[in-house]
Amino acid sequence: MTDYAPIRVLGVGNVLTSDDGLGPTVIKHLEAKYTFPEAVEIIEVGTPGLDFTPYLADAALVIVLDAVRAKDAPGSVRIWRDEELLKAPPVARTSPHEPGLREALMATELTDSSPGNIVLIGVVPETLEAGTGLSSTVNAAVSEVEALVLNELENLGEAAIPRSEPQEPDLWWL
Amino acid sequence: MAQMITIDPITRIEGHLRIDVEVDRGKVQKSWSSGQMWRGIEKILEGRDPRDAWIFTQRICGVCTTVHAIASVRAVENALDIEIPLNAQLIRNLLVSAHCLHDHIVHFYHLSALDWVDVVSALKGDPKGASKLAESLSPWPGNSVKELQAVKDKLAGFVSRGQLGIFTNGYWGHPAMKLHPDVNLLAVSHYLQALEYQKKANQVVAILGGKTPNIQNLAVGGVANAINLDNEATLNMTKLYAVKGLLEEVQRFVEQVYLPDVAAIGAMYAPWLSYGAGVTNYLSVPDLPTDTKGTTFDLPGGTIFNGDLATTREFESFDDPYFRDNITENITRAWYEDTEETRHPYQGQTNPAYSELDHDGKYSWVKAPRFDDQVMQVGPLAQVLVGFAGGHKLTQKWATWMLKTAGSIAGAKLGPGVLHSTLGRHAARAIRAAVIADTAVSHWQRLVENIGGGDTTSFTPWEYPKGEVQGFGFHEAPRGTLSHWVVIEDGKIKNYQCVVPSTWNAGPRDDKDRMGPYEASLIGNPVADPERPLEVLRTIHSFDPCLACAIHTLDPDGNEVSKVRTL
Repeated sequence: MTDYAPIRVLGVGNVLTSDDGLGPTVIKHLEAKYTFPEAVEIIEVGTPGLDFTPYLADAALVIVLDAVRAKDAPGSVRIWRDEELLKAPPVARTSPHEPGLREALMATELTDSSPGNIVLIGVVPETLEAGTGLSSTVNAAVSEVEALVLNELENLGEAAIPRSEPQEPDLWWL
Repeated sequence: MAQMITIDPITRIEGHLRIDVEVDRGKVQKSWSSGQMWRGIEKILEGRDPRDAWIFTQRICGVCTTVHAIASVRAVENALDIEIPLNAQLIRNLLVSAHCLHDHIVHFYHLSALDWVDVVSALKGDPKGASKLAESLSPWPGNSVKELQAVKDKLAGFVSRGQLGIFTNGYWGHPAMKLHPDVNLLAVSHYLQALEYQKKANQVVAILGGKTPNIQNLAVGGVANAINLDNEATLNMTKLYAVKGLLEEVQRFVEQVYLPDVAAIGAMYAPWLSYGAGVTNYLSVPDLPTDTKGTTFDLPGGTIFNGDLATTREFESFDDPYFRDNITENITRAWYEDTEETRHPYQGQTNPAYSELDHDGKYSWVKAPRFDDQVMQVGPLAQVLVGFAGGHKLTQKWATWMLKTAGSIAGAKLGPGVLHSTLGRHAARAIRAAVIADTAVSHWQRLVENIGGGDTTSFTPWEYPKGEVQGFGFHEAPRGTLSHWVVIEDGKIKNYQCVVPSTWNAGPRDDKDRMGPYEASLIGNPVADPERPLEVLRTIHSFDPCLACAIHTLDPDGNEVSKVRTL
């Protein structure tokens, strides 16, 4: 247990459905190239539903990386912050997956453990077909997302430290 | 005149479930269940090393990760005839038990209780009345007037800010909502407490599995947990005691909160003990093995036909041909093409061929699995009925408790027959949670005693045979019977098929035009208000549907919401 509020970088998505693997891919790139201050946790969380809640709870800042559905062109990078994420109503409960990020955030409100701030860095996918590996369009956005994460951390005085010998990212699913 | 209602929730999940029902004179006359996404993940496995299959299969579904990992290693071990150490078996049992407790608690409180509990009405609840009622049902310390007043204040705070947060999309004030405001208040307070307890169950998964979701400690041949009671880096006494503490806390919550809540809701919505039976052929598999081979189990499983407990036949081992030889999947009404419409999973093919949704033709991505050519219902109810019929002590203890408690609240005598129903499925899930909590605590004891006796092995070394072998692995997952089927050629996967619980329950009609369990369960369901078909959701939710098993994308702008179309 820590006695300070952590900063969590969460890679969300399924590596078996093409561009949905964006979040995990960025996490693997970050891990391969940098080490992080003690307060920063870098986690690949998959597609957790309500299990999202513990990753959000009591954090100073949560940075979520994910494929997002938006009207922009595939490969576009968009950022949402705090209230923008809570504006839309929750979706109906039809399966355990339905509680998503928004619902998990609302659940932390109920238990008085909301994160201080939350940032969603999203990339619009080109394909979500079953298969491993990002489309070239979305792959081209990986370094931009990476830079945005580094920037967020630096702004909080918790900058990532480049490894003296960067490793190859562990993209085991390819 | 008959009216067609479509419930087509387009959410962040691609692989969603669509239900069409035809309603006449306030009751469902016809229904169709349609899975709206093709799950092509099995194809990704072809040509890969079977040792890695579990790492991939646990990503089939973001919620049911552990269960696909377990079924996969069991399938490969079955194909290669590997016996695993007792420690590995028990550690896996603790993992799946904790996962299941987490899953059952979340399902009842956070995914389905609000079909029965009116959050807005809870604002009118009296904390004193609610506390008095609770104390008559349970010794749980979290039912004090003070606690309930705090929940009421919190809820009132939300409403005064003009928002209900996570409670926004409910059918509040619906005529089918019948609970007294005090009961609603009590249930909302347990909803909040359940958020804490599901987390504790998940912590057990994280301690033993290294991480959740997507555990990291499995291996074909056992588990990757090194065991040394005094070493900080391995599975040691500190970690084991943390597991025990958490399991006991969850066990208490299940017995003192979850069970009484389900009994009370069952009693107060008694008509729902007669709706929703549908298919009364049941299939479950034995689990929580207590030996290294998988021939003795602490959780029974088997088949029951036509709701007749006298027909119960249990499966006897991980290699039982009664299971292996009787499973088929049919694609007559599903969007696939194949030269054979019905195949055994070892020969299973997955060739998608989408056409328009046609109620008289093909209308789903879900195949129709059959056992000995019969439609089967899977899930906790199937497992509890087999245990009840076969004299399984813990099942009988908690099932009897449930029927007696619900009966005394309702002022009626309730027999096991009421379990064949919408609320019976919820009751069975709670009964099963209690059985699993008790069993997990006893398996913890066995594990510690076995390690204490000097056995620290957790992995059996093995080698690939030349040529072709095949195997199957099953697991009684929270949503029911899950099986993985693998064909291995020269150490590479040649074919891989998963027959998942929601396929059994959500599957479409078949070559003989027989409805699947969701479809059959809806026939005769009341629908008071076609614009707000709460009653249809009640019955579908009681199965704990989990159709997605694949994709999700966040939709931060919230453009898509569940759609209820009345045609």
